[in-house]
Amino acid sequence: MPQPDFTTELQKALSERILVLDGAMGTTIRTYGLNETDARGSRFADSSKDLLNNGDILSITRPEVIGDIHKRFYEAGSDICETNTFSATGIAQSEFFVEDPREHGGRKDPEFFQKIIENPFLNELAWEMNVESSRLCRKWADNIGSDTGRKRYVAGAIGPLTVSLTNSPDPEDPGFRVVTFDQVLEAYKHQVRALIEGGCDILMIETIFDSLNAKAAAVAVQEVFDESQLRLPLIISAAVGLGGETMISAQKVEAFWNAFAHTRPLAIGLNCSLGPDLMRPHLEELSGCACTCVSCYPNAGLPNPLAPTGFDLEPHHMEKLMADFAEAGLLNLAGGCCGNTPEHVAAIAKGVAGRKPREVPVVG
Amino acid sequence: MKTIPHALRLSGTEAYNHTADKRFLMIGERANVAGSPQFAKLVRAGDLEAAVEVARQQVANGANVLDICFDDGLIDGKAMMGRYLSLLQGEPDVARVPIMVDSSKWEILEEGLKYLQGKGIVNSISLKEGEENFRKQARHIMRYGAAVVVMAFDENGQAATYEEKIRICERAYRILVDQVGFNPDDIIFDPNILTVATGIEEHNNYALDFINATRWIKENLPGAKVSGGVSNISFSFRGNNVVREAMHSAFLYHAGQAGMDMGIVNAGMLEVYDEIPKELLDHVEDVLLNRRPDATERLLDLAERFKGQGGKKIEEDLSWRNDPVEKRLEHALLKGIDKFIDEDTEEALKQYGRPLKVIEGPLMDGMGVVGDLFGAGKMFLPQVVKSARVMKKAVAWLTPYMEAEKAEHLAGDIAAIKAKDPSLTDDEALRLAERGRSAGRFLIATVKGDVHDIGKNIVGVVLACNGFEVTDMGVMVPCDKILDKAIEIGADVVGLSGLITPSLDEMVHVAKEMERRGFKVPLLVGGATTSAAHTAIKIAEHYSGPVVHVLDASRSVPVTTSLLSEDQKEGFVAENRAKQKVLRDNFIGGPKKETLSLSQARAAGPQYDWSAYSPPVPSFTGARVIEGQDLRELAEYIDWTPFFHAWELRGVWDREAKVLKTKNAGGAEEAAKLYQDAIGWIDRIVSENRFHARGIFGFFPANAQGDDIIVWTDDTRSAERCRFHTLRQQIKKDSGKPNVALSDWVAVEKPDYVGGFVVGIHGADEFAAELEAQNDPYGSIMVKAIADRFAEAFAELLHHRARIEWGYETEAELTKDQLIHENYQGIRPAPGYPAQPDHTEKPILFDLLQASAGTGVTLTESCAMHPGAAVCGLYFSHPESHYFVISDLQKDQVEDYAKRKGMSLQEAEKWLGPWLGYVS
Repeated sequence: MPQPDFTTELQKALSERILVLDGAMGTTIRTYGLNETDARGSRFADSSKDLLNNGDILSITRPEVIGDIHKRFYEAGSDICETNTFSATGIAQSEFFVEDPREHGGRKDPEFFQKIIENPFLNELAWEMNVESSRLCRKWADNIGSDTGRKRYVAGAIGPLTVSLTNSPDPEDPGFRVVTFDQVLEAYKHQVRALIEGGCDILMIETIFDSLNAKAAAVAVQEVFDESQLRLPLIISAAVGLGGETMISAQKVEAFWNAFAHTRPLAIGLNCSLGPDLMRPHLEELSGCACTCVSCYPNAGLPNPLAPTGFDLEPHHMEKLMADFAEAGLLNLAGGCCGNTPEHVAAIAKGVAGRKPREVPVVG
Repeated sequence: MKTIPHALRLSGTEAYNHTADKRFLMIGERANVAGSPQFAKLVRAGDLEAAVEVARQQVANGANVLDICFDDGLIDGKAMMGRYLSLLQGEPDVARVPIMVDSSKWEILEEGLKYLQGKGIVNSISLKEGEENFRKQARHIMRYGAAVVVMAFDENGQAATYEEKIRICERAYRILVDQVGFNPDDIIFDPNILTVATGIEEHNNYALDFINATRWIKENLPGAKVSGGVSNISFSFRGNNVVREAMHSAFLYHAGQAGMDMGIVNAGMLEVYDEIPKELLDHVEDVLLNRRPDATERLLDLAERFKGQGGKKIEEDLSWRNDPVEKRLEHALLKGIDKFIDEDTEEALKQYGRPLKVIEGPLMDGMGVVGDLFGAGKMFLPQVVKSARVMKKAVAWLTPYMEAEKAEHLAGDIAAIKAKDPSLTDDEALRLAERGRSAGRFLIATVKGDVHDIGKNIVGVVLACNGFEVTDMGVMVPCDKILDKAIEIGADVVGLSGLITPSLDEMVHVAKEMERRGFKVPLLVGGATTSAAHTAIKIAEHYSGPVVHVLDASRSVPVTTSLLSEDQKEGFVAENRAKQKVLRDNFIGGPKKETLSLSQARAAGPQYDWSAYSPPVPSFTGARVIEGQDLRELAEYIDWTPFFHAWELRGVWDREAKVLKTKNAGGAEEAAKLYQDAIGWIDRIVSENRFHARGIFGFFPANAQGDDIIVWTDDTRSAERCRFHTLRQQIKKDSGKPNVALSDWVAVEKPDYVGGFVVGIHGADEFAAELEAQNDPYGSIMVKAIADRFAEAFAELLHHRARIEWGYETEAELTKDQLIHENYQGIRPAPGYPAQPDHTEKPILFDLLQASAGTGVTLTESCAMHPGAAVCGLYFSHPESHYFVISDLQKDQVEDYAKRKGMSLQEAEKWLGPWLGYVS
């Protein structure tokens, strides 16, 4: 069931305090020690490719694990949790279910992806993943919301895809693209419709490596809004490298804001790829130019195979660093990406609690 | 409320914001098959590699936006648009600028939008096919997040007259803004630039109609921009590039005055407006502004003369070497090329006969162009300094000739002066004679006790470029020497510079002395600690002559010019006085921040649980000297951002990409060049062993007592060796944050430690003086700016080492970037900086470390360090320690502080001047 548009309500809350997002889905799943058999369940027992790394399928095969993760994040203080749908598109799922033509000397190209876009199995699977994941998250948002008397929200996660619209995989042919804008647009529209159907309150285009992929997602969102005559708040979040550029398409932070300002998002932000310390100058730049709320959910530092979460920073580090961001007036929404467990999110929530949200500039 | 100004905000991989301070948005037009037959040929032949090169050149030539168009009968426009834009995505140099997708076919525009990751521009849509279609297309463009060019067309065709243009633009604007919800800042009108001088009478007013429509749109349709295809205007002169280029720039000049924001222009097909020959300009403007009925015939006649001439060359080459010598000198000055300057100067001397004629003629003319371009923001400081270097070399070449002539010259002048006024002595007549030969005499000095002079040197160079005769007295100049010199040379203006706080008092002293000694000439004040407010409140009151605060070097020229101009002086001085009065009134009567009493502030200090905390113990106590620090290692630690600030290039340096992130594209380009130069200089400094980095650091047993920090003689903590005095914040805080003082981060009872350090870079002043003597002011400023960076880098490196010695950080735990951004535990505040603004804490630190003996860095009477490229500070290890700012100190604390330090209240107030929150 589609949710009503909570934009006004969310804007009011954001003017009063810094809202808390959740932590990482992927790295938290890893702490449950699941194996390939667990991930497949009975339904995909005979699937020809490995599914353990297909985190989104767990919403179908191991819903109790995904539900538990949502529950723990909401209990840790998240106002908004993201659905387990980072790769829930036909294009991304094809990696797990369709034979790679490169293994037989072929290549992935628009012809290949046209078949993917039209593949009924993948389309139905993607639909189910988005709807079921949204419902799981919805259930815990409503449960913890009514238990604690504080309303919680569900953000439908729209991930970056495993293909790029700005890059050629073939150095001999820099003009070549494996996929077309229209194909990506179609895949995203399908996902957006399912997320709305599953009851998401917010749509979140996130971990943007390639701004043109994200552009297609933003167009998809607007087109679905128009066809269904409804509106939901939108959050847009990029994954930037050390120099503050999207990891694949190399778009700098202010350029990114300029490219997405027209979507009038509830918030624009940065996530993943860097720890908070390295993200700071880029967050400052974004905070300085964006005429809307700013969100930030960095990784828990850099990958560290020796640490229990696989990342450097512990909860108290995140608490301090995110509190510093809040103190500097850079934040409206705070959370964590890779390596951030519910304990990290509790610490982040503590760090930003009682601190003034960033003042949103107006154009004038 | 925070606001962000309205602007057309575009992007490729980088943002381009066409804010109010930008002049004209340059749209590169060469990647357009309609605009460039050469490009069309490449595309038709399928040579896309070369076609991409065209785009790259456009960006390199400064295009802010790239226009891309494939409207050609022989090209599949839709497929080519996708293919070409895909190729551009793979070219980082090109992908950074916003793209303008240009076509008369909607399906090509639609296709182009699918390749823009940034915010581009769609060019164009119109009301040609009615309102419904127009709305549909506008909605689509909005959904893809592009700006739009709207042509002044409607169902009846193209708007040619002024009335048609404004009627259609207004109609389109209302539909876009009111019905579609388009952001008005993203609407660009193209009210049709149509060809003039066609021989058809109705066409005569076309240029003027466009210009007037532009003015109307800018006044009546808020947010909307105006653009146009400029080369249309001159189609009737095809084949005559000289005339066409003149028409383009004259048209752009007038349309720009009316508010035209951008245009499709081939930057290479544009003459500089000021360089159009007067006769040609008159004829061109007669046509454009429809000033006389026979304008077209007259221009046609004149044009015959220019036919077949090439016009402006785009490629960079040595063709300028074929120009007459004056042009060559101007070119050398503008571009900062000193390769040919000796031979060109020699040639000019032969031609002009006398050295002074060369200087006053072509050289000063060239520098005048440089000065104007700099004043107009079209040249940047490093370029100007390079120009000055070329100028100095030219003058140095002429000097021997001049010496010979000077006597003769002055003798003539003196004779003339004495003939007028026989009562003058020879000396007085000589001075008057010399005076007659400059725009004005400017005396500049860094005041007593202060050694900082990079900014002052830049001011000196910039003024010299603008024809002022600058006498630079250097650093640490006592007041009486400055004023004696001012009388001796007959200075028209006295300029004082200073970086550290005590210099402010010295400036007040100079002002009082100028008053006492009856000076009337203007006093200019500048430097990092100075401010318009301090100048108004503290300095201006003591001197009845004009006292002007000069923010930076670029302001020094207009200020000095106004002060020395018969016409402008009075108005300028009155305005300056009025501004200063407002500043004074605000200071006295203005709203005050809410402050706490000292005891309240102490009660609001941080409450740490010391029982749960064990202060780290350093691996040694006492001081260690670092001799022969490797400069290459230091270079790794350099934070470049302040280096660019020293050159008045604002922005943030991106270490990875090696670019200065700034709003100003020209500034970034200049910064990139400057960085390359700096790297070259560092190489030279290191290989010639020019600098010596010396440092000392140490740790000492210490405990806090109130707001003081006691340093003990040894770990028995029984005898006091010295004590540091700290200041506590007194501003009332809403955030619940504590009112801190540095002493809060040292334990009261548990054994704890503080550290201290001093680092200095020796050799920069000597090297700079050597370069100065070689007429290389650029090198001199460069060397000093680099020395400053080395000193800061040394401080950062030593702090890193100190934290490791202190046992709470391990080697290689942090990256260089983290170090530069200070992402570590502990701080190294310096006396004289915001957390402890009192410079007199420096002698205590120097004594404790025996720093002068260990590093060769000494303190002046104002507690400035010599050499100037030096840094000192205390080390604190506490995990909560952080940098903060002391401000608005109240009298109760200053009294208490003076007592603790054994100073008089007056003396404490003198050292803390700018941080006092009350009138002392």
